[in-house]
Amino acid sequence: MKYAYYLSCINESMTKEVDRSLDKLKTDLGIDFIKLKKGTCCGGSNLEYVSEPHYLAVNARNIALAEELGLDLVTSCNTCLMVLRTAKHHLDSDETTRNTVNELLKKEKLEYTGKAKVKHLLWVINEDYGLDKLAEKVKNPLRDLKIAPFYGCHILRPSKYLGFEDPNAPSSLNQLIETVGAQVVPYASALKCCGFHTLLVAEEESLKIAGNSLEDAIKTEADYIVTPCPLCHTSLDLYQEKALKGRKNLSRNSIPVIHLSQLIGLALGYTKEELGIHKHMIK
Amino acid sequence: MNHFDIVIVGGGGAGLYAAMEVLNTNKSLKVAVISKIYPNRSHTSAAQGGANAALANKDKTDTVDKHTFDTVKGSDYLADQDAAAVLCEEAPRVMRELENLGTPFSRMEDGSIAQRPFGGASSPRCCYCADKTGHTILQTLYEQCLRLGVTFYNEYFILSLEHKDGKCQGITALNIKTGKIEIFPSKIVIFATGGYAKAYWNRSSNAAGNTGDGQAVALRAGIPLKDMEFVQFHPTGLRKSGILVTEGARGEGGYLFNNESERFMSRYAPEKMELGPRDLVSRSIEREILEGRGFDSDAGKYVKLDLTHLGPELITKRLPQIRELSISFEGIDPIEEPIPIRPTAHYSMGGIDCDKTGRTIMQGVYAIGECACVSVHGANRLGGNSLLEILVFGKIAGHEAAKEAQGFSTPSIPDTVIDKYTRYFRSLAGESQYERYAVIREEMGQTLADNVAIFRNAKDMKKAIEDIKTLRDRFKRVKLHDTGKVFNTNLINILELRNMLSIALTIAAGAYVRKESRGSHFRTDYTTRDDENWHKHTMFKLSKGELKIDYKPVTMGKYPLEERTY
Amino acid sequence: MDEKKEISFRVQRFDPQLDTGIYYDNFRITIEKGVTILRALNYIKDNIDSKLTFRVFCQAGICGSCAMRVNGVSKLACMTQVWTELETSSENDLILIEPIKNFSLIRDLVVEMEPLVEKLKNYYSWVKPKMPASEMGKKEFSISEETFQKYDQATDCILCASCVSECLMMEVNPEYISPVILLKSYRMNVDERDAMNEVRLKKVASDKGVWDCTHCYKCVEHCVKNIDIMKGIHELRHEAMTKGLHRSEGAKHAQAFFNDIKRKGHLVEATLIPRTLGIFKTLKMVPTAIKMFFKGRMPPVFVRSIPHKRYVKKIYKNLKKGNYSSKR
Repeated sequence: MKYAYYLSCINESMTKEVDRSLDKLKTDLGIDFIKLKKGTCCGGSNLEYVSEPHYLAVNARNIALAEELGLDLVTSCNTCLMVLRTAKHHLDSDETTRNTVNELLKKEKLEYTGKAKVKHLLWVINEDYGLDKLAEKVKNPLRDLKIAPFYGCHILRPSKYLGFEDPNAPSSLNQLIETVGAQVVPYASALKCCGFHTLLVAEEESLKIAGNSLEDAIKTEADYIVTPCPLCHTSLDLYQEKALKGRKNLSRNSIPVIHLSQLIGLALGYTKEELGIHKHMIK
Repeated sequence: MNHFDIVIVGGGGAGLYAAMEVLNTNKSLKVAVISKIYPNRSHTSAAQGGANAALANKDKTDTVDKHTFDTVKGSDYLADQDAAAVLCEEAPRVMRELENLGTPFSRMEDGSIAQRPFGGASSPRCCYCADKTGHTILQTLYEQCLRLGVTFYNEYFILSLEHKDGKCQGITALNIKTGKIEIFPSKIVIFATGGYAKAYWNRSSNAAGNTGDGQAVALRAGIPLKDMEFVQFHPTGLRKSGILVTEGARGEGGYLFNNESERFMSRYAPEKMELGPRDLVSRSIEREILEGRGFDSDAGKYVKLDLTHLGPELITKRLPQIRELSISFEGIDPIEEPIPIRPTAHYSMGGIDCDKTGRTIMQGVYAIGECACVSVHGANRLGGNSLLEILVFGKIAGHEAAKEAQGFSTPSIPDTVIDKYTRYFRSLAGESQYERYAVIREEMGQTLADNVAIFRNAKDMKKAIEDIKTLRDRFKRVKLHDTGKVFNTNLINILELRNMLSIALTIAAGAYVRKESRGSHFRTDYTTRDDENWHKHTMFKLSKGELKIDYKPVTMGKYPLEERTY
Repeated sequence: MDEKKEISFRVQRFDPQLDTGIYYDNFRITIEKGVTILRALNYIKDNIDSKLTFRVFCQAGICGSCAMRVNGVSKLACMTQVWTELETSSENDLILIEPIKNFSLIRDLVVEMEPLVEKLKNYYSWVKPKMPASEMGKKEFSISEETFQKYDQATDCILCASCVSECLMMEVNPEYISPVILLKSYRMNVDERDAMNEVRLKKVASDKGVWDCTHCYKCVEHCVKNIDIMKGIHELRHEAMTKGLHRSEGAKHAQAFFNDIKRKGHLVEATLIPRTLGIFKTLKMVPTAIKMFFKGRMPPVFVRSIPHKRYVKKIYKNLKKGNYSSKR
């Protein structure tokens, strides 16, 4: 199996452990991820309202880079996923835009055709790779772990452009957690927003949003929160101390948050250090 | 205590237009809109198809005269021609005003307001916004009232019109949220409470709250009602729910089929076909079903409204709501399959008797919109004229009331009325009360639907009158289970039923005495129109608690009586 | 005959005169396929408990009265089939009914809607007509299909407040403008007949306004009329940025993405905060930054440019020249 792998800005800077963990796993799993070094930032769900043409052009380019390799495009970031898929939808449904964009890509000998699919790592593991196959690879079943799944918004919504599963009752992450032998704990915040995108402009509110979800997860006595999105991770881990500040009557003061690639890594027998879990803010 | 110059009861299109016009006429007036629901939820929003106005955007040959004639002919000559003339003359100005205020009308290619054909109209003059016209007009008017700073009393239920020496003193109303009975002394009261077709209960396309509150309150206050027997059955209600499929669906080219795959309207209205007037199309469908040419199902007999030949693009663009309702309530996508439909009680032509300025016989009391009977619709309303009526007469009455208000003396209402209602509510919860409101309500709807519907006869209607009288007796023992103050919808249900029972009797009694067939009132025992004896309005008045029926001549104009064919 | 089933409705109750807090009642009724949630509630009210309190009016999905949470999701009870809901129930043949969120409770399923009306007023949710009073009603504006398309979908809104109920920002800040008001603001601002676009935009782009949306897309997902509310939000942000309101934190944040893609290809996270918030507010972040440094999580200040950066620059240059027809 071979995919083009989209480099998300945050995984290049603040959450490097996401891709580092994945680098370790991919040989075990036998999936080849070709990093798209030439790719740009997707615009982080901001570029479209600064300039829609720029947003469509750079993301057409990002997808065209995968097409150049004849591969589907995979990302480990929910927001990159949503932005790329939304751009793809617009490009695929509007020939005029597609032609204009391709005019812009010509110089680099790129062409956007729409044939490359854009997927999340979680979807690739669940659907293309298959959970049965993953189960065979598990060396260290996480039998004692209770895990609170945190899907994040942009892997579910807007479902019109994501559409992998029911946005009100998704199961992909739950199934994956069960596949690696851990126990899923149900809680009210699994499908909520982490508040990341307003952390800078409305910090107090965003921290409350993150804090409410963290509190819900702590109440379940889960060992970890697992998220497929590095932005959610940032909100829930990096900002956790601030987010939980002043909250009383919690059974514990904090809850560690790990990435999807780290969860799989643990099940395949890697240590926390190898996966960079020790570098998270919350232990 | 709040003193007002003008209190408008009802926050639908008519009430909101009136409120807006009051402030546009005289900003200094104290005006309030009192509504039992949030105004933006009013039943105006359910009007899908559009509003008629001879703008001549689509058909350059259209004129106000043609519109007036269509309206008078459609009414089976029971409309007052002076009122119909005002309606149609004012239509273009009001429609343009609404447009100027931001109503999102669909557009012609040249950018002007789009118009579509509608039943009984000689030109395509129905102005529309897809199939959400009423909704968008209501939102626009609500927005404008907020802009102008209209005072709203939301979720207040009217209890009574207070009057002294034939002069309006204001109203009393129940604050639903707090349970408090409040007094609103006002020089002028404008009734804009909507129609009464919900008296047919589950056999009606109306909202749950179209219970004839304004008409019942006016009747109790001694103001006459008019032409109550004329209830329009809309030809195309969804089979299972009675929810409406707009006439716009036929305006856009929909066909009606019976179980022999025949476009049966060719036998009833060879020229206009599916776009015959509503009374005629409803009767035709009912006839097909009665004569065994309908389809059969668990949810009752029906005929088919076929839109499939219009294609997905037109349906999704011009009739999106219809598609959604049809999928939700029948599980049928009109792009793929014909919609199962049958006629449903839909609109009340009758209402509070008033003149073409909205004035009733009582000084300071006005009535507008569906709760009024001007009469512009006579025995049968044309599609697209109901939205128009609420706008035109809302505007006129608002303007007239604003001019008149200052001339009236300060009203007063004694506090004792509060005790009267407190006692009444308490008595409803008394130990000797045992009847269930839902049962009475259901039986009322059933007897009207069975006996005073599309085809009527003396025997059935007599039964309906007896049934309703019995139900009114039983209602005296109705039980209020909820004695709480806060948002007591049990109490509201009972008060609405009380109003509907008053109205139901007028429908049945008026229909029983009118020994002819005219417009929506079709009798199998008197199958023709009888102008010599019955070209007159029926008037209903309460005298010592008894319903009295009287008559009033129809105002004629330039259109002489003619046979009505399509 | 249609299929029938015995179904439990677990309904949230609260009577402020009697109860100190909310509780749930179970109503077990037999209903046939094809019945809506609202009809089931009507049945319960008419036959089992006449005190059960909820708003009901048109029963055809156009008045917006009966928005409530069914199995945790805000929707119109009148448009929701019982049978469909059974598929997502957590327990067999049980449907959970609760009031919409982010409004104060009045009784049972009825919530206080006045704050929504206040916001409609505060954000000028109306067209202030350009047409002078003396000319009103005399002529029509000519509106092109293209302009009409901009606001057509937004005018489907029935103010049911399902989006407000689902909005997480509303949950933590009741003063937040809310999705429905953002939609209304967008709808008014693209209307050529309106004369107060700038005033409204300034208000919308101020504190607690359009920049506070987290783009969680819950409002879009749960709009009962399937309105793309986020499109309206994006358009408002775009409008704010193009009409000189680019000095807000949200606008500066967005601009940073635009600039970095051109300069480096990737986002320069390390300087994103000072560029968004300015130096003063950034200083407050220093303690966090120190912790990040020791964990090795500090984003690099010097980001290496992507290979082929020149091509991206070229795209920017060509777009600036305007040889691209924007859909806007």
